Amino acid sequence: MKQHLGRQSGVQNVDVSLIDGKVQITPKEDGTIDPAQLLKATFDSGVTATEMDITAQGKVVKDSSGNLALQVEPNRSFALVTNELSKSLDSLEDTQTIVTVRGELYKKPPGKKQKIDTSIPLRLLILEVQKEVQKKD
Amino acid sequence: MNERIALLLLLGCVVAPVSQAQIKRIELRVEGMT
Repeated sequence: MKQHLGRQSGVQNVDVSLIDGKVQITPKEDGTIDPAQLLKATFDSGVTATEMDITAQGKVVKDSSGNLALQVEPNRSFALVTNELSKSLDSLEDTQTIVTVRGELYKKPPGKKQKIDTSIPLRLLILEVQKEVQKKD
Repeated sequence: MNERIALLLLLGCVVAPVSQAQIKRIELRVEGMT
């Protein structure tokens, strides 16, 4: 699985802990990493991903559906699951503030092993707001 | 010529605010790994 994930676009390093069942992925700075593709690659390697957490920095924007989203690349954003922390970011919408958050991007639904549907957009449940930086132009 | 400069400035405004944006780390929890 390590080799399988390591071949994915935008992946710099993969650390696998067999004891904990954890896989740490360090992205390259080229911004080409695609979490949905990593989930699919994990499934394709015969392993079931139960949870995916990310630490990301980006801007708070509103997506085409009017939902708050974290824009992590010029062409990639994750809609935010509404909770107290996402509400606290409401005031940063469309500002120059870069915010660093840790959140849950995927959690396997209870039940049997099932193929991950990559056509469903991943939504980010914010677990921690780590830093806010006002960008000066 | 002026149009090209204006277009470059416009693109700079669009790209600059997200230039610091990126995914820093991803952690997967898996089962069935041997």
